[in-house]
Amino acid sequence: MKKILCALAIVALIAVSPVFAGGQQEKEDGPITITFWTHEDPNRTEIEERYIAEFEASHPNITVERVTQSSTKIQELVLTAFAANQGPDIFNMSIEDEYAYIVNGRVAPVDAEAAGYSSTSSLVGSYLEGSLDPVTLDGKVYGLPLELTNWSLYINKKVFKDAGLNPDTDYPKTWEEVAEVSEKLVIRDGDIVTRRGFDFRYPYYLVSMVPMVEQLGGQLISDDGKKAIVGDEAWLSFLEYMQMWGPNGNNLGSPTYKNARKLFNKDNNDIAMAMTGLYQQGRIRADNQEFYDSGEWMVVPFPVFENAVNDTAACYYGHYYMVNGQKSAAQQKASWEFIGYMLSHGEEYLKTVNIIQPTTELLESETYKNMPYSDVFSADMERGHVVYFGEESAKLQELIKGAVESVMLSGVAPQKALATLRAEAQELLDDM
Amino acid sequence: MRQKTKTKSIEKHLSHWGITFVLPSIVFFSLFNFYPILNALYTSFFKKKVLSLAAPEFVGLKNYIYLLTSANFWNSIRATAVFTIGTFLPLLLASLIFAVFITSIKRGNKFYQMAFYSPAVLSSVVSAAIWLLIFDPRGLGNQWVNNLLGTHGTDHNWLADAMMVQLSTMIVYFWKYIGYFIIIFIAGLASIPKSLYEAARIDGTSGWQEFWRITLPLLKPTIVLVSIMSMLQCLKTFGIQYLFTQSGAPQDPINVITMNIYNTGIRDHRIGRASAMSIILFIIMLVFTWIQFKSSKSDEVEY
Repeated sequence: MKKILCALAIVALIAVSPVFAGGQQEKEDGPITITFWTHEDPNRTEIEERYIAEFEASHPNITVERVTQSSTKIQELVLTAFAANQGPDIFNMSIEDEYAYIVNGRVAPVDAEAAGYSSTSSLVGSYLEGSLDPVTLDGKVYGLPLELTNWSLYINKKVFKDAGLNPDTDYPKTWEEVAEVSEKLVIRDGDIVTRRGFDFRYPYYLVSMVPMVEQLGGQLISDDGKKAIVGDEAWLSFLEYMQMWGPNGNNLGSPTYKNARKLFNKDNNDIAMAMTGLYQQGRIRADNQEFYDSGEWMVVPFPVFENAVNDTAACYYGHYYMVNGQKSAAQQKASWEFIGYMLSHGEEYLKTVNIIQPTTELLESETYKNMPYSDVFSADMERGHVVYFGEESAKLQELIKGAVESVMLSGVAPQKALATLRAEAQELLDDM
Repeated sequence: MRQKTKTKSIEKHLSHWGITFVLPSIVFFSLFNFYPILNALYTSFFKKKVLSLAAPEFVGLKNYIYLLTSANFWNSIRATAVFTIGTFLPLLLASLIFAVFITSIKRGNKFYQMAFYSPAVLSSVVSAAIWLLIFDPRGLGNQWVNNLLGTHGTDHNWLADAMMVQLSTMIVYFWKYIGYFIIIFIAGLASIPKSLYEAARIDGTSGWQEFWRITLPLLKPTIVLVSIMSMLQCLKTFGIQYLFTQSGAPQDPINVITMNIYNTGIRDHRIGRASAMSIILFIIMLVFTWIQFKSSKSDEVEY
């Protein structure tokens, strides 16, 4: 009987496995359904739902199913879906997370004609130089940017004035000044910080902290791509700065305090400075219209160290729309048509969601130039470069996070943290 | 002889129905438990990236050798061991004490059962979210402890300090699961015949003697069940550690094996290495369960 049971169980397993393994391909000439996974953003949802309705009206045989996921969860949902060969037709994530899909042949090259361009070269020519580099492999372009973002420093003028500072003249230009000004702005109840001057965006080490190291002459990866964590002195100075910043140093902030960027919108005397992108303006407007209209906030350039050898600003990163290469040719074509249609509304994305699609047309438009502080972001973008992207970028970011946290929170000496970081990053690089 | 054959035939007939009824469960269990285990074992011998469409490279035991020589993996073993010992023993002891207390009181025991059990119905995400607010430097955690110890303004670094963050995960887990095990102990206590206590009282035993001589020996199967369940749950802990690290807590002190598996498989895309880790965790759990079963069978008590 046991044998019969085992046999039955195996038969059942075999019988149901196609249910899990199978994928559905649309017929070439039949109705087409496109699944479109993207991260939550209420402002985008509003306009993209309208684009879907308009697109479906002009393409009666195509249905678009838009599914939103949390911005922190979408990476693993897309990954597991692709692992099971059940990925969506269209998706977007940050380039650090998307690059692996290109190198592993999971996404289709852009169908320039379907996306509304006469050729691939005209498509490339219509975008800001270099903005398509992260999605270009062997001469083929694999994604179109939903947004290209860089960060500058937002300042709440009221908090500055409350601390007796003049925001127009006293705003920090160097990292040393960020610490000095923060010390004047911070309010503590014993050890507990109740108002911070500034705090970092801790999960995003590649975007905002690697440039700090680069200002001091260090590098994440050497130019030839063979050596990890280049320039010991630069890395040590950076780690010493972070050690000084944390609760065991001058106690100016910590990764365990609430996200500075989110607190900034509330304008409740919690935080004076936060690092974020142009898109923050849309979020301030949505969260706190009164603060947005008050004129009590401003944006200043990304600081540099006093002894900087490179004038580098925060890295910019892109979210690119990509199309699943495992779908039928008809689905891929329909997907690029829909992406092209959405991206033809660059000005509306900018006005409604405050995200920048890096087309030369948009960046030269009056709409962009008239956006508050767009000149600061443009200047910082010129000083910066694209964020490090590679198959192992998430792991590298985790290693830097470990080093920073160990000096800030666990009392590890910067030299020891650096040695650990270098060894682990090199091992990772050698294994690639 | 004929009668015996007939009886056997009825038994066989009935057993067929039994098998028919359990078959869906067996299929379900095979599909969602055995198949993933066997698949993980097979995958653990390959160098396989989640997104790669190329055939995975057979590497034999290399993934296991890498893990057993990796400081990162041994740190995960340490974090898991510290968490399991620091959580499962207090859970076992406290849930037994509270269960005995609740069954011994005449009024309000339903209220206590409900109050203790209510956190168990919350998801790990909700539990972690509640405790993240408590452990915030300006949250209730610092306020309570500072009021209690008279240490105004001290930040106890619940989520920042390496030691404190380990303690914090234990506190949340203890809070979340104690009610669940209390209910199991209460069910175990209810199954002990009242006549035994009555007989013991006639013989003049004290309450303390009743507990040590009757309750504890006869509750042994429940204790074994709770200890195995709580230990296995502690070894598989993930949600709280994951959510704490997502909120800025340092990863190394609470990088338990399951979180390492998740990060290796999902973040780093190394599914072969992650599979090897899950097989090692599976073996650890199997060994501890076997040891607990063996040790509990040595002095079984019946009534």
